[in-house]
Amino acid sequence: MARLRLFRWRAIVPLLLFVGLLVVGWLLLLDRIVERGIEAVGTHIVGARVDLAEADVRLADGAVVLRGLEVTNPDRPMTNLFEADEIVADIRTLPLLEQKVAIDTVAVRGLRFGTEREASGAITDPSPASGRVAREVTTWADAVRFPEFSLEGLGQAVNVGAVAPESLRTVSEAEGLIAQSAAVRERWDRTLAALDAERVIDSARALVEQLQQADVRALGPLGVTRLAGSTRETIGHLGEFTERVQSLDDAARSDFAGLQQDLGRLAAARQADYAYARSLLRLPSMDAPDISPALFGEAAVGWIKPVLYWLQLAEQYLPPGLDPRRYSASGRARSAGTTVTFPREGGQPRFLLEHAEASVELGGSGLEAGAYRAVVRGLTSSPALYGKPLEFLLRRGEADVGPADIRVAALLDHVAAPVHDSIEVSAGGIELGSLDLPSVGARLVPGRGAAALSLDRRGGELAGEWSWRSAAVTWERLGAESGAGQSGGARPPIGSREWADEFLWRTVSGIRNVEVAVRFSGELTGPELAVRSNVGDVIALSLRRELGREIQRAELEVRNQVDALVGPGVTRARSSVAGLESMLREDIGVPLDALIRARADLEQEIQRLTRRLPGGIRIPGGR
Amino acid sequence: MLTLFKLVQSLVRALHSEGTPQQVAAGIALGAALGLTPLASPHNLVIVAAIALLRVSVPGALLGLLVALPFGFILDPLFDSIGGALLTGSPALTPAWTGIYNTPVLSLARLNNTVVLGSLVTWAVLALPIYFLARVGVGRYRATLGPRIEQSKAMKAFRATKLYNFYRLFQP
Repeated sequence: MARLRLFRWRAIVPLLLFVGLLVVGWLLLLDRIVERGIEAVGTHIVGARVDLAEADVRLADGAVVLRGLEVTNPDRPMTNLFEADEIVADIRTLPLLEQKVAIDTVAVRGLRFGTEREASGAITDPSPASGRVAREVTTWADAVRFPEFSLEGLGQAVNVGAVAPESLRTVSEAEGLIAQSAAVRERWDRTLAALDAERVIDSARALVEQLQQADVRALGPLGVTRLAGSTRETIGHLGEFTERVQSLDDAARSDFAGLQQDLGRLAAARQADYAYARSLLRLPSMDAPDISPALFGEAAVGWIKPVLYWLQLAEQYLPPGLDPRRYSASGRARSAGTTVTFPREGGQPRFLLEHAEASVELGGSGLEAGAYRAVVRGLTSSPALYGKPLEFLLRRGEADVGPADIRVAALLDHVAAPVHDSIEVSAGGIELGSLDLPSVGARLVPGRGAAALSLDRRGGELAGEWSWRSAAVTWERLGAESGAGQSGGARPPIGSREWADEFLWRTVSGIRNVEVAVRFSGELTGPELAVRSNVGDVIALSLRRELGREIQRAELEVRNQVDALVGPGVTRARSSVAGLESMLREDIGVPLDALIRARADLEQEIQRLTRRLPGGIRIPGGR
Repeated sequence: MLTLFKLVQSLVRALHSEGTPQQVAAGIALGAALGLTPLASPHNLVIVAAIALLRVSVPGALLGLLVALPFGFILDPLFDSIGGALLTGSPALTPAWTGIYNTPVLSLARLNNTVVLGSLVTWAVLALPIYFLARVGVGRYRATLGPRIEQSKAMKAFRATKLYNFYRLFQP
């Protein structure tokens, strides 16, 4: 029987050759693989194209050189977030055997920000993480609402006919109060008719008279005793009846107090009606806190959007803790699936950049000319394993030429939950982008100025301020070519488009110093925005000067109209409640007093009667 | 074209005469791993080494690869679910995955990917059934269907054509 031969020994050499070929092929293609990998991972993280011209991997030296890196700004696909001519990284080779990348140092040369791209860097199919963050931030931005600012139509503002009685709260509440008062009155009428207090009072008074006329000697001790006994019985009944009337009096007072309260609410309803009627007038707010958000609100959302995007993305890729994490795997011919990482305490993070330095030199004699230095420490996918927060610092070096200054300091502590991010950015003497303000019909050209961002985020809560200021602002008129707002001739009527254009242009074109500050606070996924600017203050002041009397007159007119509409109803409601009060006092309060008095009289008469008994005879129950 | 002809020839030979039914079935079972799991995964180097070093039918492995490949594509969502359940749905296994993920070289196997792990586990479970089914199938084919096809008029007619001569040109 032939011995079973399990191994095919002669295949060893071809197999080794095959593996050798694979290794050689891999080494030959390694640069390309790394280049593609960086592009894919970068695009995955950023949510926009990341392009790399060339990668040069030298495993023996533990060095990787990347050339021509372009990272698209996800908000502006035709602009690069930054571009670097050359990046030299010293990597540790052993962690590569665990599919982990540990970079000791990185040196970046030729770093430039905001450069133009030749082709759009937008991607149609962003990664689930960056796509979700972008969607969430866009949803938040779309949901943020600011008050509108428009002076047009002011001339047609005073239209008192638009204030309809049925739309006024006071009218309906007064009618309700009248009906309620009538119902209470009807109920009390029934209750008091059944009570018949007059009969009881008359009977008590008659008894008092009888006692007053009683002759003690004629009655004798026995007769007095009998009379005193029957009187005490009557006093007892009278007491019970008085208590019943007393409780009715309490209930009546409670009913009346409720109606009085409702009557008091009519005043608040009237104030609300004034506000409602005023809102129909399309009168512009003259408060700066309302005007500034209307002017700069949309722009503010645009400024804050990238801040939220990058913060949320940082949370995605720099999560705290050591729980297993899921990442969508990179594209393959077959389904890519999900890659789950299992960080272990004391282990290597999936990605770690210990220290990176970038030097940026801007030549010439311009304001920004000089050397800048950026330092990143501790950029890692597992901050808990690294144990230290991510630090980022960008500042001007010594070789500065112009007065421009930029300083960025960021500390992202994601070592443990809750995460704590702190970012301070200040830039002075920089060119600020122009801003269209359609509601004022002007373009704000800030020229060179200063900008600052201060941000503090703890867990899901965020607070910060983004601000910029310029002392050399110029203004351009929007739509000037159409001849809008040309002055000359008769003064346009208040509220006309020409008047609004002319007024606003006259107001803003004189402003040279502009400051805008956007405060944001609340949840990271949907913070509240508060915008303030001295432009709003100036417009508010001018409006008060220009329109103060007009607006006061219009407001008085609508107040009078509201008063005329609600006055009769309120008067009827008041008189109805007053009538009810008078009835209750008359029908309950007065009888109650009479009952109390009659009871006291009876008590007094009994005492008087028993005191007159001869020989100091005392009767049972006598005092 | 040349490769395709050689491939067809080797498959036909595997079914008809080369190797025992056990060797062909073992080749098919191992080849199925290459088809069911993502081909460019490091564990497939071990499978290829096993096919080369163990006395299994290489054409059988190619047959297994060709038959399993479409199933691999079709069943990817299932593999994803199985892998996901094993990696994240079973806390008891987390220490094992943590160990594998943090072990040099072993972590290169990408067993922390849902599709890779799911397909590999599925193949491991199906390997023996595939082997036994293939062994029975090859045996029966050789006993019944194979000779009939050989003697069939269609095959005889095919052998008489120039195409068959062309096919024979590429015999290894």
